[in-house]
Amino acid sequence: MKQMIGGGILFLLLGIPFTIVFLESMMVIHMLVQIPLLILAGWLMGAGVLQKFPRFFANWNGNGVSGILLVSIILMYWMLPRAMDEALLGGWIELFKFISLPVAGLFIRDSWTKLKTNGKSFVFLNFLSMFGLMGWLYMDAPIQLCNNYLELEQKALGWGFLAITLAMILYLLQNVFMDHSGREHEPL
Amino acid sequence: MGANTVLKTRNNQVVLQLIISGVVIVAMIVFGVIMLLAQGGVIELSAAAFYQMLTIHGTGMIGAAALAGSAVMWYFLDHYVNLSKKIFNTNLICFLIGVVMVIIGVFSFEYASGWTFLYPLPALSAGAWGTVGALLYLGGMLLIGVGFLLLFIDTGRAIIQKYGSLGKGLGWDVIAGKKSELDAPPAAVVASTMVTIVNISALTAGATVLVMNIINVVNPAITFDPLLAKNLTYAFGHIFANSTIYMAVVAVYEILSRATNRPWKSNKPFLIAWTSSTILTMIVYPHHLLMDSVMPKWILVMGQVLSYANGLPVLIITAYGALMIVYKSGIKWEMPSALMFLSMFGWTSGAIPAIVDATIVVNHVMHNTKWVPGHFHLYMGLGVVAMVFGFMYYLAKNDSSIQTNGMDRFAFVVYLLSMLGVSGSFLVSGAISTPRRFATHIPEWMGPAQFGAYSGILVALALSIFIIHFVRYLVVRRKALPTTGRAQQGMI
Repeated sequence: MKQMIGGGILFLLLGIPFTIVFLESMMVIHMLVQIPLLILAGWLMGAGVLQKFPRFFANWNGNGVSGILLVSIILMYWMLPRAMDEALLGGWIELFKFISLPVAGLFIRDSWTKLKTNGKSFVFLNFLSMFGLMGWLYMDAPIQLCNNYLELEQKALGWGFLAITLAMILYLLQNVFMDHSGREHEPL
Repeated sequence: MGANTVLKTRNNQVVLQLIISGVVIVAMIVFGVIMLLAQGGVIELSAAAFYQMLTIHGTGMIGAAALAGSAVMWYFLDHYVNLSKKIFNTNLICFLIGVVMVIIGVFSFEYASGWTFLYPLPALSAGAWGTVGALLYLGGMLLIGVGFLLLFIDTGRAIIQKYGSLGKGLGWDVIAGKKSELDAPPAAVVASTMVTIVNISALTAGATVLVMNIINVVNPAITFDPLLAKNLTYAFGHIFANSTIYMAVVAVYEILSRATNRPWKSNKPFLIAWTSSTILTMIVYPHHLLMDSVMPKWILVMGQVLSYANGLPVLIITAYGALMIVYKSGIKWEMPSALMFLSMFGWTSGAIPAIVDATIVVNHVMHNTKWVPGHFHLYMGLGVVAMVFGFMYYLAKNDSSIQTNGMDRFAFVVYLLSMLGVSGSFLVSGAISTPRRFATHIPEWMGPAQFGAYSGILVALALSIFIIHFVRYLVVRRKALPTTGRAQQGMI
């Protein structure tokens, strides 16, 4: 319950016009702070939602695959420069962002525990290479990708993606070389 | 019979992968022979057709070696850890769909960049092929890569589940003295852990550069650093091709130790060698870029120095181990053990031309000659291929009562001599400065090419005899299956 309230408060804070303007003022903060925080808000609120509707999630996301597929589609959409650009214009796309990303967070919470190790590893490695690729795309694109952000900002975002990729690689390395003997859970 | 029954059931997928790989290898030899005949001036072949064949030959050979190698590794690793059959099957399905895409891309849409798909060639063909061909080839390769990635994620999961971590799978706790050598992981697990680590890295690099190429093909306005692309391509290609021998070598450890009735011990030198190879295999690829003067000099120097060090640990430990395990063992030589022993020769001798070529001053003269194909035909043709077919004979012997005959022994001798002929012809071509990847040769270069082509025909014949033996085993299996089914249901 505490988590759900925390998630709700975070969601409301993110929805304050001042916060929106500030977080969307820089491309790197927009992509790597606001979007993850919206996902986190959904993840936190998900604690209550999952408790309230267990049958719905058991029926529609039994093994976690459909949920994580939905998450991947939502996140892929929000990695597109055009999606960010349109969100800045306000209106429906901005509203869609504030709905779709918390939904992604909710399904991450539901799916991650249901996915088997191979599925989790595949999703993790998929996002690892995707972040690396996005890093290259934003750093190396010869043109301005967004109307609202300068080329310099997209390069900064590229470095941000690369830093995340590096962090994921380090996490992966410590995970696979850390001793899991005697633990009930499987790695990743 | 009980044990055999269980093995037969479990081997279905392994057997399927092996027969597919065997047939693909022979089909690829046919393309190789056609190319050599064209270079030797015996037949006429258009340049476009030559490069399409070059593309399919390289891609198909590495793909088949990887598919067969992974089947060998999976078979033995499954004895020690709990692997997923679903993932194993998924890999095969991805492989088959990918291969169909590659074949259509190459032969229907005339894609012919070579297996290296070196950026920006897929998008800049000067009209030789179009977008569809490039996308089919690159997409097919990506799908094959995804399948293998899933497979190695699963082997990693299973090793961690059983042994605690990939470090423990490599026996680091034994190296550190925390555990006795008696408790060290088996050789098959150590080798599989190494392959898991290097191949996940390789496939991630490969997937990245493939997607970059796909984006560039779809929208040529989006470009990227060609040197980065070449580094990623060779990091992927070198590691993945190299890993085929590390996958198949598991069969050497298991089969020779069973044939001699002596255990292949995972002692400290063995474990240290495999850990060294894990690191070296991943960082040695710059020896493919020694001619790229824009590469940082220290990386090129590292490429040379590490190449000297790379082959030695596992190769020496394994080759020396093979000699020691056989020495005074009273081994009864049969096709599986003979092929395994032969593979040690192929691996060892095949590494030597590579070490020579990894020397920068030699590389500047030899790298673009047929010397390099000489290396990898010896290394793969008498190394990996011998291991794979040795394993096929082992499986047939282990699972059924069919016997080898004079034809098999004859094929063994023909295979050895003719494969030496193929590799030797490439090495001689290299020594007389014949450039590689040239569709046509001047008359002075044609002799070795013709010799290589005729030797290649004999290799295809010898391997076909090997396959016939395996097919005989499949027929016996097929007849035995109803009994197996009843046995499983407890009816007999």
